[in-house]
Amino acid sequence: MGEKKLFKHALISAVCTLAFAAAGSANAANWLMLQGTEDPGASPRANVWGFVQVDYQRDYSKANATGQYVPPKLRGPDLDSQSGFNISRARIGARGTGFPIDSNINYFLLAEFGNNGTTHSASEYTFAKLTDASITINDIPGARIRTGLFKYPGAEEGLQAIHVFDYINFTEATNGLLLERFPNHAYTANLPAQNQTQLQTGGALNGFNAPVGAFRDVGIQVFDAFDVGNDWEASYAVMIGQGNGIEFDNVDGKYDTYLYASAEKKLGGKGPKAEGFKFFAWSQKGQRLLDSTPCAVPATCVAADANPVLYKRERAGLGVKYMDKPFRVTAEYIKANGMIWVGPDKPTFTFAGSNGAEADANGWYVEGGWYIPNTKWELDARLDTMTRLKGAIDEHRFNKRTVGVQYHFNPKSRVTINYEMRDFSCTASSTPCTNANKNLDGVGNKLGVQMTAIY
Amino acid sequence: MLNHFRSLIFIVTSFFIMSAAMPVLADDDFADYKYVLHISDMDPSKQELILNNASNLLEAYPPGAVAVEIVAYGPGLRLMFADNPNAQRIDSLSQSGVKFAACGNTLKAMTKQLGYEPQLNPDAKVVPGGIVRIGELVKKGYIYVKP
Repeated sequence: MGEKKLFKHALISAVCTLAFAAAGSANAANWLMLQGTEDPGASPRANVWGFVQVDYQRDYSKANATGQYVPPKLRGPDLDSQSGFNISRARIGARGTGFPIDSNINYFLLAEFGNNGTTHSASEYTFAKLTDASITINDIPGARIRTGLFKYPGAEEGLQAIHVFDYINFTEATNGLLLERFPNHAYTANLPAQNQTQLQTGGALNGFNAPVGAFRDVGIQVFDAFDVGNDWEASYAVMIGQGNGIEFDNVDGKYDTYLYASAEKKLGGKGPKAEGFKFFAWSQKGQRLLDSTPCAVPATCVAADANPVLYKRERAGLGVKYMDKPFRVTAEYIKANGMIWVGPDKPTFTFAGSNGAEADANGWYVEGGWYIPNTKWELDARLDTMTRLKGAIDEHRFNKRTVGVQYHFNPKSRVTINYEMRDFSCTASSTPCTNANKNLDGVGNKLGVQMTAIY
Repeated sequence: MLNHFRSLIFIVTSFFIMSAAMPVLADDDFADYKYVLHISDMDPSKQELILNNASNLLEAYPPGAVAVEIVAYGPGLRLMFADNPNAQRIDSLSQSGVKFAACGNTLKAMTKQLGYEPQLNPDAKVVPGGIVRIGELVKKGYIYVKP
């Protein structure tokens, strides 16, 4: 064999080896891949898994001048007290490759048994709720197909696995703009703030009949991740969904579109705590049916009085996450247009007609963590803000600073302690702010302790 | 003559370079300790475990004193699929001299079920039968281990 031929063969072998290594390493370094795929040749037929989160939270807010409370002063999802224990999440599921020698098809199944916005709505308290049921087909190189009910590609807080989320509560922007509350099918009047007696005798401040969206949708997604060299990985996802969260109907007949792209410099490790430096951007576009017009005499409303109107709902964001133990830093900017939920100061259900339904909002957060070397302790800090009804006569600004500490008993069990310092106010000088600020006056800090066990 | 001399230098140099990079394992005829590690399990954690066993054996003995062969059959053959996430480790172990034997009978059965032959790791050598291979190795004095 000539030297040139030998060199050629060696080069081909090297290229093949590199290509082979690249294909292997592009499988578990981001949420799209972690949640949507399984390791080829190494996934179980059914890996039963789940997690339990038990928390105690105490809200130090004070009632308004007339002794009444609004949702930010109460603990959810029940919204009837300021302190208490809760099983905030109790999930069990299975994932794997049903026919283990065929790595090209995998599934993901998860159900919620905890007490939160997915199981507890205004109209019902369900014992369990299906939150994920999807099938991924990996036959087409560069275009994996996932279909069913699953987390849509979007903001980091929503897309990431909640059991490794480093705080107890979401940021205000994620909670207010992304954790979707769906309009009731028929016009629902706003409820006033409730006093303690009213809350103790069944006064309900949650007016939404449907469960929260839980950052999920039913639809189909095309996605993949590629090793682009020098430890950089690029990912993309395109999804079409019904835009109705974890519910299955598509009553408006419209579909949401989701786009996501990320580029990550991989620094080591694998799984949900993989280290890397990730840049990401995403967008969502859809429409929602909303009936914001009461009939003349509410007590006598009939179907013919309904006046549902389609409003656009758009969300977009971009962010960066750096994770290289012992340090972690995340920052994200979120922009929203349409279907802005204006609940917390107006106690229950409202998109406020031409106000919230067509309003703009934005928000951002910066958070960081420090894993104290050679210990099981982690310190966290987060600053977040949301400006709602931007430019409108009752523009609101919510600011929150969170400090936290976590103790990791082992990689799958930890306790999280958070203290949130909150400042909510209606920032415009116009009349609509007067009443809002009366309700928001007294919103105070919040303490939370949460235990997480993953199995 | 000069060309022949250059070739000789090239061959000798190559030999030394290759020797340095050669497996730390001995040829099994000369090894003091010989292990056959068996995987027929579907559990993915067993895949990592058996590779850890092989790595630990390499570290435990002086270079050249141990021979290790991993034999996979049944659901365990997935360890030797080309796209298995442990492929890089297998390649690394293979370069250190660990041998990988893939059961031909299992491969045939899987091919029948899938409708195509699964692509195997290039480091894996297909043997007629995994169980037979284990028997042969035990007869040659290999210590049988199923993690």
